[in-house]
Amino acid sequence: MRRELHAEWTKLRTEPGAGRLLLGLVTLTAVTGVALTAGVTCPWDRCTQDTVKLGLTGVQLGQAFAVMLAVRMISGEYGTGLIRLTLAAMPRRTTVLAAKATLLTGLTLAGGAVAVAASLLGAGLLLPARGYPPPSPADGPTLRAALGSVLYLALIALISLGLATVLREPAAAAGTVLGLLYLFPLAVLLLPDPDWQRLLWRLSPMNAGLAVQATTGLDDLPLDPWTGLAVPAAWAAAALLAGGLALRRRDA
Amino acid sequence: MAELLRAEWTKFRTVRGWVLTVVAAALVTVVPGLLFAAGSHSSCSVGPIEVPCPTPPVGPDGGAVEDRFSFVHQALTGDGGLTVRLTSMTGIITYPPPDHDKIVPGLVPWAKAGIMVKDGTRPGASYAAVLLTGGHGVRMQYDFTHDTAGRPGGVSRRSPRWLRLTRSGDRLTGYESADGRRWTEVGTARLDLPDTVQIGMFANSPGDLTVKQSETGGSIGQKRFTQTTAVFDQVSRQGTWSGTEVGDGPGETDWERYHRANGLVRSGGTFTVTGTGDIAPSRDGPVFEDGLRGVPFGLVVVVVAAVLPIAAEYRRGLIRTTVLAVPRRGRALAAKAAVIGAVTFAAGLAAAAVTAPLGMSLLRANGFVLLPAPLLTQVRVIAGVGAVFALVAVFALALGALFRRAAGAVVAAVALVVLPYMLAVFSPVPDEVSRWLLRLTPAAGLAIQQSVQEYPQVLSHYTPGAGYYPLPPWAGLAVTAGYAGLALALAIRAVRRRDA
Amino acid sequence: MRATIEVIGLRKRFGPTLALDGMSFTVEPGRVTAFVGPNGAGKSTTMRVVLGLDAADEGRALVGGRPYRTLRHPLRHVGALLDAAALQPGRTGRDHLLWLAHSQGLGAARVDQVLDLAGLGGGVARRRAGGYSLGMRQRLGLAAALLGDPAVLMLDEPFNGLDPEGIGWLRELLAGLAAEGRAVLVSSHLLSELQHVAGHLVVAERGRVVADTSVAALLAAGDRVTLEEAYLRLTGRRGDG
Repeated sequence: MRRELHAEWTKLRTEPGAGRLLLGLVTLTAVTGVALTAGVTCPWDRCTQDTVKLGLTGVQLGQAFAVMLAVRMISGEYGTGLIRLTLAAMPRRTTVLAAKATLLTGLTLAGGAVAVAASLLGAGLLLPARGYPPPSPADGPTLRAALGSVLYLALIALISLGLATVLREPAAAAGTVLGLLYLFPLAVLLLPDPDWQRLLWRLSPMNAGLAVQATTGLDDLPLDPWTGLAVPAAWAAAALLAGGLALRRRDA
Repeated sequence: MAELLRAEWTKFRTVRGWVLTVVAAALVTVVPGLLFAAGSHSSCSVGPIEVPCPTPPVGPDGGAVEDRFSFVHQALTGDGGLTVRLTSMTGIITYPPPDHDKIVPGLVPWAKAGIMVKDGTRPGASYAAVLLTGGHGVRMQYDFTHDTAGRPGGVSRRSPRWLRLTRSGDRLTGYESADGRRWTEVGTARLDLPDTVQIGMFANSPGDLTVKQSETGGSIGQKRFTQTTAVFDQVSRQGTWSGTEVGDGPGETDWERYHRANGLVRSGGTFTVTGTGDIAPSRDGPVFEDGLRGVPFGLVVVVVAAVLPIAAEYRRGLIRTTVLAVPRRGRALAAKAAVIGAVTFAAGLAAAAVTAPLGMSLLRANGFVLLPAPLLTQVRVIAGVGAVFALVAVFALALGALFRRAAGAVVAAVALVVLPYMLAVFSPVPDEVSRWLLRLTPAAGLAIQQSVQEYPQVLSHYTPGAGYYPLPPWAGLAVTAGYAGLALALAIRAVRRRDA
Repeated sequence: MRATIEVIGLRKRFGPTLALDGMSFTVEPGRVTAFVGPNGAGKSTTMRVVLGLDAADEGRALVGGRPYRTLRHPLRHVGALLDAAALQPGRTGRDHLLWLAHSQGLGAARVDQVLDLAGLGGGVARRRAGGYSLGMRQRLGLAAALLGDPAVLMLDEPFNGLDPEGIGWLRELLAGLAAEGRAVLVSSHLLSELQHVAGHLVVAERGRVVADTSVAALLAAGDRVTLEEAYLRLTGRRGDG
């Protein structure tokens, strides 16, 4: 796999897009978090809002860049026909996909870590003036929310990579992933029955995955935080498996 | 231009995948709304027995209304009026936030006490009233939806509020005064009333609305019982007064049973009237556009459908063939936008025309009483869905031409159109942020679906999730159109300048 | 409209590279003009500028005396073959020509005519273009170039992907088109294929014309028997030997 990794890394770093997308991820995530934190209040003098979750809301927007990064990595190659060259040069196709997945994970973890750190640092500067304590890494739930958000971003990127490998067409791939992320929460709201709502919530990669950001009201959540993060992980595993199979079986 | 349109249309219809994507956009729009409508049920019960849900009363203009209050009244034939002095207005609010554990004294902002002329005591009958509110001063209100502000402030024994309402033909005029001598007109109403009407004092108090975030996303509004007690004296009319609980439903709260019942307590010339309920256009019940909940789903597919053809041109180098055939590139792009706009408009229109009425009848069959929407509003909503589809398609196409990258264009378009809506209805973002999201982003156009009106004088949870958008329907659509136009203009400029 | 292509002093820079450096020549009607030169000489860029695809920094390119972008129905004046692979794979070859025809105010009857002309008659053109061989794409591209019955033709590497039979067919086609009084500009590496077709030769190098001569004169000037040898001599690729 070293050869494949090296080749894919060279491909990635010699194209300017990836860096810009990561920058977009960090900026959008942090700016959203800071903007929302700036508007935080203490209703009826009770500072009970989940400021950590609010400060990390930007992840919901920032993940769009992770999706773009992943889709470009594979659909871009199909679009230009580069994929034929890639697979001719590296015939072990699943290894190629694994190399891409590894690189993507590394990149989104790095970008996500910066984005989450920036969001929480921004929140830390704003919160004391608004009656809340700043988020502290020493606090277990806060640390879990931060780490979980970074992992969540990487998992979303992997779901995108798997689905894009299956679908090839970049527009269709991006649309499908974003639909999966953003329409699932709306579908949950559509269901009239609360039990069905909770069931669908548990299946939705964004709903369940972002449970990891909650630091208050954990008892009301349909899933506990880490189990919630397992949901996008399962989606990512399934998508990569499907992608790997498609890549092996299909003509390039 | 006709040749160009024809060429672009041929180009579009001859790729089966593109046509199917647009069809998929329509289907994806239809299904969620119908599932929602089919899965929702409404039932009403008195005690343990299930009964058919009561039909809400209908106001003079045909809209469903809430009409519940304590009315102390007598007949008035022909012209005349009533003058009273209001010396006290107090009330209770049950289990308010933050802990929802106490019954506290207080008035909700739109608690009302005052005098009224009404066409009988049937709920929904035409009326005019001059009244004092819990937090919005004196008002003149009539026929549920009309509201004119008078002098602000409250009432106490030391600073009483005098109210007067007169009828002269079909003209009703409300006055107020601080001392019973110098009067100020608050407002007038022209109502179609019979010769004999009921005139008298009333009190009511709408439920206290609290909203909480649901753990599965969205928010839940809850209304809790409140009550107003008003003390009137110096009543200008003599004779017998009768008390009616207008629109009183079955069931009583413990508060009414053990502490203070609604109705009149009279001691000489002092009338103490206690009431609960609201006099307002109804906000409960599904709305016409509930069948259209699939629209954001359809929009994601519309974005893909619009980006596919333009991205294919760039990826396959087909753009060069197009530019060879049509050297005026701006026109070529405009023709492409027109075709995708027309196709998606038709898809949205067809989907909405099927799903909105079907959703209505499903909801009705499942026991709901729907908030009525005039036919013209229904047409606007259905055509509006088509328009939103078309504008979003043009927006996405323009992004595709600007970026020349399918993934980037799809992500940007979805993030700008669907994501703001998703955040506004689902996320834990504050309501004010939700409203700005739906004012400033291309998602604003979804407002065209709103069939119900927002009334500042009626307490309700006016959020996008409940079908209330911060912008009026056409203004919202104009925002989306602005984005689409701007993006298309930039794209045309870019294709003109760039080497193909 | 006169059937000519006039290229006048074109200059174009891509970043640090000077792609066109005063490219000038004229293509006259009634003969096939071969446009040759080493890779990177600016042949394709010149053609793209003539066709209004790229904008030149300086100079003008005219077809029939007018800039390409001002033509109302350009394909009725100029037929071009640039990149035959530029097809939407899901669309049939016939539908590809159909939308082009519609953009020029032409009908389906003309589409079937040029399909026959390009040897794509019968069922082939009703299959999705995604499954076409290189040669079939080339023939479809030629059909597109002929669609508007243009007086000027610009073909970039038209022999690519054609089998020997196809090469023979294309040569005859080109000769016939020139004989009808059209101006035909063909860029090609396969000079041997142009030998019996080309009446005129424009040789480009480093963005400018280094030779603009009739083939007969060129061949007569020395003892060279093939166009290829003459070309190599001109561009100095090989010594006189």
